[in-house]
Amino acid sequence: MLINHHQHRSTTLALITLCVILTSACGDSTSNKANAIDYTKTYPASNGGTLINAMMGEPSGLIAMIAGESAASAIAGNIFNSLLKYDKNLELSGELAQSWDISDDHKTITFHLKPDLKWADNQPLTSEDVLFTWQKVTDENTRTPYGSDYKLVIKAETPDINTFRVTYAAPYAPALETWASLHILPKHLLKDQDINTTAFARNPIGSHYYKLEKWKNGQYLKLTRNINATQGQAKIDHLMSRIIPDKAAQFLELSADNIDSMGLNPIQYARIFPARPDLNKNIALYKELGNSYTYMGFNLKRKPFDDIRVRQAINYAINKQEIIDGVLLGLGEPVASPYKPGTRWSNPELKPYAYDPAKAKALLKEAGYEDHDGDGILDKDGKPFSFEILTNQNKEREMTGVLIQRRLKEIGIDANIRVLEWASFLGRFIKPKEFDVVVLGWSLSLDPDQYSIWHSSQQAAGQFNFISYSNSQVDKLLEAGRLELDPDKRMKIYHEFSKILLEDSPIVYLSAGYGLTAIHKRVKGISNPAPPAGIGHNTYEWYIPKAYVRTEMSEN
Amino acid sequence: MKKLLANPLVLLGFIIITSILILALIAPFIAPYDPDAIDVKAILLSPSTHHLMGTDGLGRDVFSRMLYGSRISLMVGFVAVGISTAIGIVLGAIAGFYRGWVDTLIMRIVDVMLSIPTFFLILAVIAFLTPSIWNIMIVIGLTSWMGVTRLVRAEFLSLRNREFVLAAQTLGAKDTRLIFTHLLPNSLTPIIVSSILGIASAVLVESGLSFLGLGVQAPQASWGNILTDGKEYIQFAWWLSLFPGLAILITVLGYNLLGDGLRDAYNPRSSQH
Repeated sequence: MLINHHQHRSTTLALITLCVILTSACGDSTSNKANAIDYTKTYPASNGGTLINAMMGEPSGLIAMIAGESAASAIAGNIFNSLLKYDKNLELSGELAQSWDISDDHKTITFHLKPDLKWADNQPLTSEDVLFTWQKVTDENTRTPYGSDYKLVIKAETPDINTFRVTYAAPYAPALETWASLHILPKHLLKDQDINTTAFARNPIGSHYYKLEKWKNGQYLKLTRNINATQGQAKIDHLMSRIIPDKAAQFLELSADNIDSMGLNPIQYARIFPARPDLNKNIALYKELGNSYTYMGFNLKRKPFDDIRVRQAINYAINKQEIIDGVLLGLGEPVASPYKPGTRWSNPELKPYAYDPAKAKALLKEAGYEDHDGDGILDKDGKPFSFEILTNQNKEREMTGVLIQRRLKEIGIDANIRVLEWASFLGRFIKPKEFDVVVLGWSLSLDPDQYSIWHSSQQAAGQFNFISYSNSQVDKLLEAGRLELDPDKRMKIYHEFSKILLEDSPIVYLSAGYGLTAIHKRVKGISNPAPPAGIGHNTYEWYIPKAYVRTEMSEN
Repeated sequence: MKKLLANPLVLLGFIIITSILILALIAPFIAPYDPDAIDVKAILLSPSTHHLMGTDGLGRDVFSRMLYGSRISLMVGFVAVGISTAIGIVLGAIAGFYRGWVDTLIMRIVDVMLSIPTFFLILAVIAFLTPSIWNIMIVIGLTSWMGVTRLVRAEFLSLRNREFVLAAQTLGAKDTRLIFTHLLPNSLTPIIVSSILGIASAVLVESGLSFLGLGVQAPQASWGNILTDGKEYIQFAWWLSLFPGLAILITVLGYNLLGDGLRDAYNPRSSQH
């Protein structure tokens, strides 16, 4: 019996190997099907069609404040409105609100809703719904990580059905931004429900362009046009999001013309696409700077990372361009502040630490690290300089870790890499702060306030300042930035903050990668190059000409 | 031995295993590059005279990594099987020699262990420990001793009542003498066969774990993690999947041929064909 087991396993493996060889050999011959249609013609905008995209994970629900994951907000963003939105140039404009007034003391904001708003189920959408949503997001029983911004509101009221007014204890500069990211929920459907567990999360009624038509577990979510949409009508009839939890499988579906769009990884973008003229003919690629950056963060509570010279030395020892070239295949940019390069909050005077191993060694020597015993590893007080780089199961971060490890070894630092599954990474290491160094990423919001990441008061378990950064100057700037409403003065505050942060080097900025998207050429109306708000800012204007609508098989 | 190697399949298995062992031993002398040397200007080059098996996503030479990876794969095989065989012999000998409630107890433990799917047990254990080559070897060893235990016990049970054992016992031989000089030497053949097949299985488990990211940690190379890296690039960098896949296939095949041949050669009932 034991022996059979072995034989069985080796046969399976042989088969896998064979399949591997066969798939790589056959990859080029699958492209005959769609060649007949020329997708480069222009047609006037028309209604109809289905846009199919792929997503990695299935949302746990479609109430974004509860679900939290990106898959949920991506889909819920097509179903629910907020009071405000960012336009294509990232300026705030009204969504459900047609205007808003800020009181002279900057503490009160009054939103005026557009008249005659309706939910998808024909019920009126009023300021009562907005108030209800605010009550829910600030309710202690609501399990949401987003409550803190809204808890700063000391009074919320509805003078009439089209007016919603909030009052803050002190001026709060990110306030408007927070009202652009809170999906307004229908009171009439949720008032007697437990928002954490309600069936509404799987059967939502919203007010935006689309409403949920069908959610097939583990397979897809299909949205259909909402005729009551508050923002006018979208052109494409249906949006379908297929759940395909693997980039390589998504890519095969894209090649086979079973999906219209997906996010690409650098390899697919830079290596596979150029080698496949058949794909280039039908699929357009889009590249834009993403809203996130990758960094290496030190646990500042642990020695020797409490020493600024050690942190700076490691910063000098890491070759960031090498990471951008090797891991992102050149599809990224270096960063020197925690803001998207090129935006007003990013301080243009700051430059990343240059790759300078000699300087790194000199700084380490100053901090007491030298190779006393001649084993190639620096040491201090008889202890070798050795630590662990933690990261989660993310190919790009793992590769980044390997590159960093190599460069650190060259100046005599012994670093090990440990790759963990996301949940245990957060639960066992980040929350209890049981790590030396992490390679991670931060997503950026549009408001420059980063109080929750860098302020010394935000270090409790589960809060975002898990590297335990504490700098009284930075604290003061972050506090001032929240109170300052004048954009130019605010910019100066955050430029100063970024400068101190770079100098202090609590994290090593590694890179900001481009967002890489592939969209089938049957989809028209896409702005290229993408405006600051990104390629997806105007999906409601995208259209699929009648001639290009794919023939669909009906399931029923 | 001569008779054994006359079988062409066994000879093939023997040659495969010896060559891989030799390659693993002399890896540092024949590897053309440092297996961890990164060169971002030379990523994903296809096989050429400079890079016999091409380069990977970080520009490392795949041939050198394969050579060093063979050391990991083989070491895991030997150590894990060493552990499992040692445990198996001890428990099997106790159970088979003393019988009674000890036997029942040990065999029930074996049944319990066999009822758990080994690979998932290993996955669960490794997820709690730090994944490292030592942990993997130990965990594989500690979860694969059941077969050996059963074999040894069965051999002991049948040998226990044979005349030469009874004679030794009648002459006053102590238990330890009976076990070590009479019973164990006569049970060696099936143990060796099962160990060789066990190595094949351990090599596969290690590759599987590394493939899932729970095995040997970067930047150290093992066949399994080279194969994982290759998965990302399979559409255009076939060499990253082909070579480690083939290496695992050939090694496992080699051990299986050798093990099966040995078993047939020493099994009087199956030696005729």
